[in-house]
Order: sequence, then C-alpha cells, then structure tokens
Amino acid sequence: MKNLWEIFYKGLFDQNPIFRLALSLCPALAVTSNVYNALAMGLSVMFVITANNVVVSIFRKWVNPKVRVPVYITSIATIVTVLILTLQAYLPDIYKELYLYLNLIVVFAIILARAEVFAAKNPVFPSFLDGLGMGAGFAGAMVFIAVVRELFGNGTLMGMPVFGASYDPALIMILPPGGFIVIGLMIASFNLIGQHQAKLKEAKQGSDA
Amino acid sequence: MAHDAHEENNSVFKVGINLTLACLLSSAVIAGTYAVTAPIAAKTRIQLDNQARKALVADAQDFKAIEGKTGWYAALKDGKVIAYVVPAESKGYAGAIKMLTAVSVDGKIIDYAILSHKETPGLGDKADKPAFRKQFAGKAAENLEVVKVPSDKNIQALTGATITSRAVTKGIKEAVEEVAVFAADKKK
Repeated sequence: MKNLWEIFYKGLFDQNPIFRLALSLCPALAVTSNVYNALAMGLSVMFVITANNVVVSIFRKWVNPKVRVPVYITSIATIVTVLILTLQAYLPDIYKELYLYLNLIVVFAIILARAEVFAAKNPVFPSFLDGLGMGAGFAGAMVFIAVVRELFGNGTLMGMPVFGASYDPALIMILPPGGFIVIGLMIASFNLIGQHQAKLKEAKQGSDA
Repeated sequence: MAHDAHEENNSVFKVGINLTLACLLSSAVIAGTYAVTAPIAAKTRIQLDNQARKALVADAQDFKAIEGKTGWYAALKDGKVIAYVVPAESKGYAGAIKMLTAVSVDGKIIDYAILSHKETPGLGDKADKPAFRKQFAGKAAENLEVVKVPSDKNIQALTGATITSRAVTKGIKEAVEEVAVFAADKKK
C-alpha cells in the first residue's frame, strides 16, 4: 500500500513535472495568466496523462520496442482528439478558451516521458496512479502559478476582484515575463526545500550509523 | 550478418504490422467518438452562433434567416430590419479566420465577432479584443483599410500581427460591401 501511495505522491512534490523536472514549461507560461484556464488545462493534461499511462500499460507486451515512440504518440494523439471532440460537444466555453493549446498536449514531454519511464514497465494500476499523481502535480503547479499571476497582474481570482478598485495591477505578471519570474522563484524554492530534506536525511543516517 | 532470432522478431514486416494495428485501433476510437459527439457539437454551435448574433446587435429582438443567402440573418426590431448579421471569412496568418459581422442597413459596420481562428496566441488572437474591435464600429467599406500610422479614419494594425489585422479587415470589408449592395437592392 505504501508503495502505491508513493507512486502517486512523488508527482506532487519530489518529481513535480514543472517545478522539479522542468518539463512542459510551455503551457506553464502560456495558459497561466488566469486561474480558470490553468485549471481547465491542468485537468485536461491530468486526464490525458492518466488515460495514456493506462493504455500504454495495457498494450506494453504487444508494442514492438523499435516503434514504441510512434505508438505512444499515436495513443496520446488519439486520447487528445477524443478529449477535444468531447469538450467541443459538451463544454464549448472551455473549448473556446483552450482550443489553441489543446492540440499541443500531444507533444507535451511529460506525457511521453511517463509512458516511456513508467507505464511501459509497470502493471495497469500503478501506471494509473503514476499518471494521476504526475497529472495532479502538473495541474497543481499550473493553478499555483496562475493564482500568483492573476492576483498580482490583474487583482482578481477566477475573475473575482480581490484587492478592490484602488489596486493598480502589475501588468508584467500577466505578460510572459511574469510567468518566467514565478516559475523561476518556484523552482528555486523547491530546490531549497529539496536540499534541506536531503540534509535532514543525511543527518539522520549519520546518527543511525 | 546472420539472421538471428532477435533480428527476425524486429523485421520490417512485424514492425509495420504493429504500427498499422496501433493506427487502426486509434482511428476506430476516434471515429466512434466523433459519431457520438458530432451531432451534439453541431447543436451547441448553433446555440453559440445565436448568442453571438445577439451580442453583436444588442437592440435586436429577433433574427430571421435571409433566403438565398446561407448564413445571413436580418436583425429585427419591432418588425423592422435594423441590421444584417452575415458570416465573413478570410485567410489569416495560420489558417482561415471565421467571423460574424453585423452591418447596419446603411452599409456601416456595427461590430464583429471571431468565431474561430488559428492565429498566434498572444499576438494574432488579440484581433478579438475590444481595443482592436472598437476601431471598426461605424465605418463604411471604403474606410476599412489597415494603416501603420494611427488615425481615426482607418484601422490601425495590431503590434506584431499585421497579417492577422489585414486579414480580419479584408474579410469584414468584403462582408460590408456585400451587405451594402444587398441593402441598396432591398430599398429600391
């Protein structure tokens, strides 16, 4: 049980796709200028990565190693297309906001990376959890960046005014540089925490010996 | 080089079969999904179009399709035609830009909405924002020209998206000209 929990949990902090692995930074910049879009994008990616991990895991014994990457990409592309068609039919408002970026999910490095590193070598359930954890880590990071950017760059959260009319928004936070600044600071703080944890571990091992 | 078992297993034929099966399966899944969602998507699109028309001509109480012109609608108020809402299309930077244009009966543009486009996020997609859109209001076809120097008479291009600006303006200009001819005919 503990193992399964770890498979899920590592995507949230230890191997957070954006803040630790620095993968898929493009959407982390492009779609995080407001919380609503970031959340929708995060959930979409979470769905695609989980579904793709399950599919890759189910078919892992039949996929020829020589063509595994094209097969994985085909699988990801299929899932993304299904997602696009579904959003188009049932959630046209979200589709309208995101349709420029949805196709790009196909080439997100993090999704192919999880298929290759984890799902191709592990049974279905752990692969599902791995995808869910990585997806949740991605979505969480997206929303976090978006909260900071929308709050300071526009004075709102989910479109609701927070600071009142007297607040003069720092436009730079909404523009791409703001995204770079937030992501840079977050990566730095995750690294600091990681170093601190490693030191604690070392100290503990030292006292055990 | 000798053909050992490993190489046999990776023959072009087997690799090809593997890829073919993956693609077949993938197309079956997509086709199945499309069969389910396409009719629903078409319905939602019609609803959205109606909302878009309403947003363009706020005064209108009803919209009536014009016979013989696909996609053309007359905006009615108290039984009188106050404007026409017509589709416009133009080739943008990265594909077709589909728009909906509201034109008054005297051949001046009221407003437009972009229904779908593939322009660059952050540059070309600003053509949908009020800052660019409000330049069009009240202009007749002859003033719908993109210029680099700011002026109230013409349209000023978006920074970094000249092609998109020209495309949107051209599409709208054509629509306005068509409506002007149509409305003049109607008056006779």
